[in-house]
Amino acid sequence: MVEATEFPELSNRHGVSGVPQTTINDGAGTVVGAAPEDYLVDEIRSVLEQGK
Amino acid sequence: MVSKLLNEGIVDQIREVFTQLDQPVAILYFGRKTDCDYCAETSQLVEEVTAISDKLSLKKYDLDDDATVAARYHVDKAPGMVLAGLDGDRIVDYGIRFAGIPSGHEFSSLIHDLLLVSSRDSGLDAQTRQFLQDLKQPVLLQVFVTPT
Repeated sequence: MVEATEFPELSNRHGVSGVPQTTINDGAGTVVGAAPEDYLVDEIRSVLEQGK
Repeated sequence: MVSKLLNEGIVDQIREVFTQLDQPVAILYFGRKTDCDYCAETSQLVEEVTAISDKLSLKKYDLDDDATVAARYHVDKAPGMVLAGLDGDRIVDYGIRFAGIPSGHEFSSLIHDLLLVSSRDSGLDAQTRQFLQDLKQPVLLQVFVTPT
């Protein structure tokens, strides 16, 4: 968890506007809103397959 | 006397929830003396929460004075927290980190995560567990929230 208002530079770097926002590997992937388990796994898999 | 952040009613509710706590949990709290608007409040909050159950312990560190410890746990933000298992004297790191004050909805997340670590079980599907076990490289997940 990163509380966005306390860490504005980090939040801006990741373009955080709607929360929750889940970033994967420092921005290689992003999920805005709720991240159901299967969906999140797919996103992680996608990031890793793209070699990011 | 400093006034409490958690009123009696909330403490009673949390105490009730904490009857589900199984294995010991340690919170490693990292604060800093300057440039940290919410350090004092977060520090007090984790003191009050961990006081509710003897299965919870709290270790407090300073990000600057205890830089070696901070580096060991990859903590670089204050207020910062590691939620870890405690097996005897041994800290078991599950990679759970909080950066910033866990207020509003995130307070529930904190309580839930303490129960999760205490259970020593992720609660994830078998497929997800297999996927995670097969990982060949580290994956960093950061969930940005706001204090609503």
